[in-house]
Amino acid sequence: MTDDRDKTGGQGEGPGEPPAPLEPFPTHLPESPFPPLYESLPPPQEAPPDPPSDWIESADAHDLPTRENTLVALGRFAFPPAPPLDDEGVAARDRRWTSRTIVTATVFLIVFNAVSPLNWARQQPPGWLPQTVERLSEVWTEQLAVFGVDMPRRGLRESWDAAREARFIGQGPAQRTGSTSPSD
Amino acid sequence: MLFPTLAFGVFFLFVYFTAWSLDRENGRRKVFLLLASWFFYAQWDWRFVGLLILSAVLNWGVAALIAGRPGRRNGWLVGLGVAANLLILGFFKYYGFFVEQAGELLARFGWERDLPLLQVILPVGISFFTFQGISYLVDVHRGKTPPAKSLLDVMLLMSFFPHLVAGPIVRASDLLPQFERAPRLTRVMATHGLLLIVWGLFKKTVVASELSVNLVDPVFFDPSAHSAFDIAAAVYGYAVQIYCDFSAYSDMAIGLAALLGYSFPRNFDQPYRAASMQQFWRRWHISLSSWLRDYLYVPLGGGRKGLFASCINVFITMVLGGLWHGAALTFLAWGALHGGVQVIERLGRAAFGDRKVLPTVVGVLVTFHIVCLGWILFRAESFELALAMLEGLGRIGPVEVLTPLLLTLIVGGLAMHWLPPRAVEGMAERLQAAPSVSLGLLIGAAVLLVEAVRPEGVAPFIYFQF
Repeated sequence: MTDDRDKTGGQGEGPGEPPAPLEPFPTHLPESPFPPLYESLPPPQEAPPDPPSDWIESADAHDLPTRENTLVALGRFAFPPAPPLDDEGVAARDRRWTSRTIVTATVFLIVFNAVSPLNWARQQPPGWLPQTVERLSEVWTEQLAVFGVDMPRRGLRESWDAAREARFIGQGPAQRTGSTSPSD
Repeated sequence: MLFPTLAFGVFFLFVYFTAWSLDRENGRRKVFLLLASWFFYAQWDWRFVGLLILSAVLNWGVAALIAGRPGRRNGWLVGLGVAANLLILGFFKYYGFFVEQAGELLARFGWERDLPLLQVILPVGISFFTFQGISYLVDVHRGKTPPAKSLLDVMLLMSFFPHLVAGPIVRASDLLPQFERAPRLTRVMATHGLLLIVWGLFKKTVVASELSVNLVDPVFFDPSAHSAFDIAAAVYGYAVQIYCDFSAYSDMAIGLAALLGYSFPRNFDQPYRAASMQQFWRRWHISLSSWLRDYLYVPLGGGRKGLFASCINVFITMVLGGLWHGAALTFLAWGALHGGVQVIERLGRAAFGDRKVLPTVVGVLVTFHIVCLGWILFRAESFELALAMLEGLGRIGPVEVLTPLLLTLIVGGLAMHWLPPRAVEGMAERLQAAPSVSLGLLIGAAVLLVEAVRPEGVAPFIYFQF
């Protein structure tokens, strides 16, 4: 294989010189990645005229066949995408999102703040509802305590109590004036 | 039923889900919200639900009469309606005060009489719904708002539970148009509402309650037993407490309304950043200060009749604003202090023009300390106690009540004023893109934090008594 620019065909520069070895040494230049110089370009040819237009007025570009993964196509067939939402749809979607947020927060608190209904029930005057809530809450709180889900609240409370008990240097003990500690 | 309680939480969950399940039919939704609001109000005293209904019917009827006589002189009708509202407010709120003062006055002239003293129970939030009724009548008369299309709308306007007992004073022009169509809930609105509720819970149940129970109440109860440090801490503590208490209620009210699809106006805007008393009233209880401006200061003449008249008008407005807060001479003095300082500021502006006389930092510090002086009058149950607090500021002694935690809460409560002005809105903008489960867990964790550290029980909001 010879380079186009090696006009001697690998036979050396002059008649008295030894021929350049071709193989196995890569003495020739690799093929240039760049296009040849302008002068060496063939003269531009006239482009053939455009074929008559095959434009179909009623066609939509989105209708043109495109290559699609078979599974995706199957999925699209089985679960066709919903049409874009109108204002009402957007509002309904946002409402659902808000409701899910509220429900998640509520469930989180029912689990991690289970002592709250118990405290509430104990603060109420005696009656059917407070007693029922108290019994249910006691069972619920005890069951959850087995899994240690009351630990975050307890830990926070202890840290807060420690901060509350802290005093300036040389200051006497606290003067407690009000009920400040929830019964958990 | 207070906002930061389990009972209210259960109540609101029921209202939220039921109201949105009725959103296809706006009329039924409004009827449900009205019934829920009456139920909420009846938790204090069911008898006053009748007063609420009476007030709404009165204002609806007078407004309908005014609207039915276009182009005719309706001033007397407005006057009649406003007088009826003030009569209700005056009887429940000021009857005892004025009879007592009249008795003392007569005794001084030697005409002692047994005046008929009644133990009148003050309906919660009467000042707020009365002011709302008055603004509705005047706005209809001025043509600023069309009359409500139904009695139901007026009833709901005055009874809507998020703002019913402690404001903000939502005007008819703000709320009635929202009642006319089924509300929409957007993610930003919901996120903003949830964040405001959590932020309000924190301010009320952690900051305000802790300061109230362990610092402010014991010191104000007996100032003579405390040193200057504790008294100064109690005064600053009360400044933080009343801000965290009242702005918390407003935040929660705005947040609850937002979750139901309604928009309330902002009521606080970092008031202790104000560099003048005029600025303070543009940032503190904005719905009341703008109400006083539009329905008292402007009708008195405002600033149209020259400097002297405007000074008198602003002074009268602030004194009456003080009286609105409560039937006591300390509140009158509080209003007079705020009015007097505003008069001085006006005279100063007239003398020096818009030139900046004081650096902003000095202005903020001076204004804050005048406001704190006013809070002593506002909080003290009598002038004697207020004077005892002031005298105590000169008593050197050991620090007994103030603790590192309380100091941190005071500093934190003041530092809130230097957060970015729309921090909660900005956070809501960012969090609205979060998945609902993530946001729910975040909200739940924040409420858990508040629940874990809050004191047992919840003191009523300070502004319930007004």
